Amino acid sequence: MRVRPSLRPRPAAGTVGTMTDVRTLIDPLGLWPRTTRLAGRAEHAALGTGERLLLAVVDRAVASGLPRQVVDRLLDDGLAEHIAERVLTDPGFEQRAAALLESPQTGHLLERVLDSEASERLVAQVLESRLVDVTVARVLASDELWTMVDEIARSPAVTEAITSQGAGFADQVADEVGARSRNADAWLERVAHRMLGRPLAAEAPPGTGLA
Amino acid sequence: MSVAARLRARRVPGAAATVAPPAAARTATAPVGYVGLVTRAVAFALDAAIINLVALLTAAVVVLALSVIPISDALRTVTIAIGGTSYVLWVVGYFVVFWSTTGQTPGNRLLRIRVTAADGGRLRPRRSLLRFVALTFAAIPLFAGFLLILVDGRRRGLHDVVARTVVVDAPGGRHG
Repeated sequence: MRVRPSLRPRPAAGTVGTMTDVRTLIDPLGLWPRTTRLAGRAEHAALGTGERLLLAVVDRAVASGLPRQVVDRLLDDGLAEHIAERVLTDPGFEQRAAALLESPQTGHLLERVLDSEASERLVAQVLESRLVDVTVARVLASDELWTMVDEIARSPAVTEAITSQGAGFADQVADEVGARSRNADAWLERVAHRMLGRPLAAEAPPGTGLA
Repeated sequence: MSVAARLRARRVPGAAATVAPPAAARTATAPVGYVGLVTRAVAFALDAAIINLVALLTAAVVVLALSVIPISDALRTVTIAIGGTSYVLWVVGYFVVFWSTTGQTPGNRLLRIRVTAADGGRLRPRRSLLRFVALTFAAIPLFAGFLLILVDGRRRGLHDVVARTVVVDAPGGRHG
């Protein structure tokens, strides 16, 4: 609630006079406000100078190749490998990773990313880019690809699968032809017996009997 | 029983009979399907196709080879006679060898049928040869010898009666 200035309680005339007297007694020359402003300016200037100084130091450090040396040193010491090994051998790491992957939030996030128009545009741009065409052309032109295809085609598993497929088809055709020809056997015999006026000896299934 | 003893026992002819029952005993108890005329005709047609395909390819190669070699008429006649004889031997040998060994020609194997002796045993080469001769005679009077298959109780044709054979189903005959 805002209070109108006219309604604010005013100090009594005696109180104002007492405060003025105390201020005059402490700072008879009126230097306190100026000193405060001066201190603020000095602080601002010091911060600006410190910032510039820090940036200059960082620039010098980057230019001197120090970070690269630090990174090389860390890699040479095997520290990064050690950290990675510690993380990967941590028994809880796999569990946490699995929990993260299986969490519904991850699924929802992935769904949202995949369903978004931005990702669709990105994929379309990638597919339509010249880079993909060039990459595909290079892969198709590479000898390694066709060597790999030859190796796969010659692999025992593939040849066995093709052979079994062919044998399975031949079996299927033979079974079908055999079944139809046996039905034809039975039909022809029924016709022959009818023409001769002799009934069939037994109503056994076609093609069966006892030796 | 040691391994060596088992191997020796396996080499003894009588020992095999103790593992598997004799063919006659086996067929006396197991139901056997006799195969009819159409199935046998299809199998025979497949065999005829194989025989003639091989013969044609061979003849083509021989004729092409002889076409670049100048030979006299007399020698040509002799070559034709040799070719004809080879063809007859090839046809006879094809059936006799397959019937005597596995009991199945390739056509029979495809249709899963087998030629056996009437007692279920394997045919001997002489009986296979007799069956082939009888087959030829059965075909001469407008295939009348095969019509017997339609009315015989065991679906035997003239050649089966003469050679005392039967044609039976061979389930899984592709592997046996």
